[in-house]
Amino acid sequence: MKAKQLSGILKKGDRVAVSNITGREAQNVSVKSQIYAGNIVGGWALGKGDQKIEVPGQQPIPVFGTCEELYNKLPKNKRPNKVVIYSPPEAVYGEVKKALQFGAKELQTIFVITEHVSIEVTSKIKSLCDQAGVDVIGCNTLGVINTHDHVRVGAVGGDAPEESFVPGSAAIISNSGNMVNTIATYMLAAGIGTCFGISTGKDLLILTQLVEFLKLIAGNAKVKLAVLYVEPGGLYEKIAVEWMKKNKFNKPVLVYVAGSLMEGRNISLGHAGAVVEGRETSATGKMKMFDEYFGVEPFNPVENYNKPEYVEKLKRGIRVTTLHHLSQAALTIFNTLGWKKDFPIRQELKLNPWFINYRRLNDKLPAAIFLRPGVIPEPYASQFKRQMKETIGLAAARRDMRNASFASSMDDGEAHIYGYPVTKLMEKQSFGAALILYWTGELPRHDFEARLVEMALVASLTNGPGTISAQGAKLSASAGNNPNTAMIATLAATGATHGGNGAKAVRFLIENFKDTSLVDPYEPGDAVSAEKIAKAAARKFKKIKDAAKEAGADYERIPCVGHPVYNREPVNYDPREQAIYRFIAKAGKHNVFLDFYHELVKDFCVIGVSGKVWAVNVDAAIACIWLAICWPLLMEKKITLKRVEDCAFLGFALGRAAGGAGEFLDHQDFGSPMDMRIPPGECHILTQSRKLE
Amino acid sequence: MPVQITELTFLEQLARRFALTVPEHLGVDASRSDIRKALDKWGGKGIVKADVMVGGRGKAGAVKVVNDVQEAMHEMKRLSAIEIKGKQARTSYLTQFIPARMQIYTAITYDSRFLGPSLTVSLEGGVDIESVKAENIKTIPVNVFQGLDAYQASGILTELGLQKNLISVMSRTLVSFWDMFISTGMRMAEVNPWRISDDNNKPYACDFKAIFDESNFKMKNEDLLLPEYPETVSDFEEEMAKWSASSHQGQAHVSELGGTSVLPILFGGGASTIITETLEIAGGSPIFLSDFGGNPPYERMYGTVERCFNYHLAKAKLLLILGGKANNTMVDVTFQAIADALVKYVETHGKIDLPVIIGRGGPRMVPGFIIMREALEALRLPYVIFGPDTPLTLVAEYAAKLAQFVAKEKDGVQ
Repeated sequence: MKAKQLSGILKKGDRVAVSNITGREAQNVSVKSQIYAGNIVGGWALGKGDQKIEVPGQQPIPVFGTCEELYNKLPKNKRPNKVVIYSPPEAVYGEVKKALQFGAKELQTIFVITEHVSIEVTSKIKSLCDQAGVDVIGCNTLGVINTHDHVRVGAVGGDAPEESFVPGSAAIISNSGNMVNTIATYMLAAGIGTCFGISTGKDLLILTQLVEFLKLIAGNAKVKLAVLYVEPGGLYEKIAVEWMKKNKFNKPVLVYVAGSLMEGRNISLGHAGAVVEGRETSATGKMKMFDEYFGVEPFNPVENYNKPEYVEKLKRGIRVTTLHHLSQAALTIFNTLGWKKDFPIRQELKLNPWFINYRRLNDKLPAAIFLRPGVIPEPYASQFKRQMKETIGLAAARRDMRNASFASSMDDGEAHIYGYPVTKLMEKQSFGAALILYWTGELPRHDFEARLVEMALVASLTNGPGTISAQGAKLSASAGNNPNTAMIATLAATGATHGGNGAKAVRFLIENFKDTSLVDPYEPGDAVSAEKIAKAAARKFKKIKDAAKEAGADYERIPCVGHPVYNREPVNYDPREQAIYRFIAKAGKHNVFLDFYHELVKDFCVIGVSGKVWAVNVDAAIACIWLAICWPLLMEKKITLKRVEDCAFLGFALGRAAGGAGEFLDHQDFGSPMDMRIPPGECHILTQSRKLE
Repeated sequence: MPVQITELTFLEQLARRFALTVPEHLGVDASRSDIRKALDKWGGKGIVKADVMVGGRGKAGAVKVVNDVQEAMHEMKRLSAIEIKGKQARTSYLTQFIPARMQIYTAITYDSRFLGPSLTVSLEGGVDIESVKAENIKTIPVNVFQGLDAYQASGILTELGLQKNLISVMSRTLVSFWDMFISTGMRMAEVNPWRISDDNNKPYACDFKAIFDESNFKMKNEDLLLPEYPETVSDFEEEMAKWSASSHQGQAHVSELGGTSVLPILFGGGASTIITETLEIAGGSPIFLSDFGGNPPYERMYGTVERCFNYHLAKAKLLLILGGKANNTMVDVTFQAIADALVKYVETHGKIDLPVIIGRGGPRMVPGFIIMREALEALRLPYVIFGPDTPLTLVAEYAAKLAQFVAKEKDGVQ
């Protein structure tokens, strides 16, 4: 191997060129690498010369038409000593030849990322590189990361390398690219960082053998521990173990060998090189080799290794049989050998579910497999919060619903609502609770919510016979219609203006609360102040109103404030809204949305939007009830925003339809036919008669 | 599974093209009179062999020496339907018996020690090479550019002590053997044994196997007719193999395991191996091993998962979507494709009711999780989603336990 030190593979100051850099993956990875390491001096792609690849916050990466052009046009101090090959399989041989030809003076290492390179070409590449004195890693390597120098080639660490790769004392050498990243994360749980992460590739030939890396690790002061992920195929581990024995390798090795499941079966694993050809290339053969070298049984998490007899053995290392034991085993080696961890343990490795919804299994799962939601760690928790706020509610996937329903079903001859048998709902739940289930898909989280829904229905029954919805029922009765027609007439006489304010109120409330940290609308906590949010909303509205007035333009009113009847006092209340407010208070809760409305009408008066404190009307209260019920479902993206708006309207419409039925029954019994007719004499003529010739 | 050929394909399509001496042979459809004529010509003795894609057929009774036409016809019929180690024979054939006092083993393969091609020879041919003492086997590297020359071949044969009068002919044979290997894009070719004829001292290739490198264009140039072997792959594996070969963008690798419980959509060559092993140990009974990593674009991922669902979702007890912390696979792209394929499946096949366990990390994981969760909410499926802070082996163990519970529940045991 040309590299005489581990940093000879990759270090700060190396100049990296990328072949086929405009390809989908090469471009994406190169931009991320450039942000992390800033070590790419250019790339080439046939027929794409003179392009540039933009990198946020940095100079763009120049693209040349050929490898030759790149080496000829880049200034001497930028000519690459590392080349990363991302070209398609059929082009790889040519690219390597060109890189060796034009980079003869500077080139030290070639990383072949491409997979599906034929084994014949792979061996030719090795032969050419050996002749040229250039190291070659791959084919099908994911790349290499040098954490202390903050540089990488390839995609090791993905788009956030710092998350997994914290500078430390472990060198990870892995047959799987993904495992480099995954194992680095597990090491963090032991308080151990990574020095180097190396993806060897796992094609039929691995062009830089394990033993070559171990030789470099032996001479590296920063590396205390080598962590290996090994698969079946090849004699690389046999060669390495023989070398370690012969040369008394001076670092402990922690190893996980995968792939024993293929033994005795006609199956193939994901990596092309995971092929058993002889006992020593099998997973169990490799396990045996390592176990013999270590002189200790595979790691047992309940064993006490803090005994003198283990010290010498753990200086050689140990094999783990379960991947997640790597963390504990690494820590055990450090503790037994009296070494300090690189940093405090960051997180414990355990089942930490981020999202759970067991649905029908909720009541069935035994305690041993029933998980409760865990804690989403940073930075993910903030990322989720941000993403969730960008789009409110569920963006439902569309499907053919002609003969399908989530809401109802007939299972074994019985009607179900969202999976619950109707008879059980009849026995155990109120109408309000069943309604919440049918409209939102979930039973109420709090008992008092069902009662609130029923209060909203009662409040909506009537606002007197003069309302246009009641008039609709009466007109229908007067015409001699059946009750269903009368109820339709009631609903036909509701709409955006009469009854629709609830939906508008929901939109208005969401607009004001969507950027807050509100989780529970009944216990909003100190972080969410209805008073502050209302103040800001009031000022914003005043600004809009003043500007509109000055321009002589119309403006959008705040929904559900003010009332044609309850408007005579300095401070006005709608008694139905007050009944709801008092009920919530009696339950020892708040409804932060209703509190917001109360604060808003007070602020309007204070800043001169109104002369009196307007009433918060019952439509607002209904909207606040339904929004509070739906808020957790909305934030968890379990229901759509449109559904919440509609619930607020339907919460009114359902009550009013029942009220219309009352008016119909009354009118049918006591009214006379056609009594809703207005005599012609009472109708005003607004248009003069005209003659038609 | 890799593309392999056995002796019969070698006899019919390759041996003569590369001037390799082989015994004469007759196919299973040969007439009684043809068989009689052949046996007469061969000195009254032949060998009937089953054409089956599995090693050790001699020990398993699928190779039979016959001495007359009646016996030959009987054995050809019997061996054409034999099953060895769960593999069904494709056909049978009759070959000439080559009387010989000496048998030689040879193999050319790519060797992880030399990181290039190598030639292995032993003068103790005709037996399992693993049973031959190491000192009686020689392996030499072959320069991939220059190829094997007769001097190199003669060197290894001399070193092994082959009698002098055979060295020249055997060296030339090995050069032809190399020519076949390198010109057809093989990654391994083995003749075991070459029988050195007592009559003319010629080496006859009396058994053969080879594996091709599907990434090598030469294999496709040869226009080989590759026979289909019964029961080597299921319909699902066959369809997935075609789909996998249709593009190099992202992996679409599956290998059926015969399990009945967990349908695993797995990402990463290493992760898929570890997860599958963990599922098996924990009683998760995975239906297949899969590797769908390598940053597949949406269409590729959708097509892959659609096939898995169409074949296996109906019988699965649990859907597991699991991978390590991805380096370059876009989690949102792959999850969008899985979510869409799941919705499409429900539209086409009706309601499904199985828990979904997800574990993943990597680029654009957060939007990916949101996409999956919305789809699972819309489909009203039970789910648990883990981030990269939970080890994938713990997730696999948990999935196995949950799948066992669901299986028992479905069987009415709970």
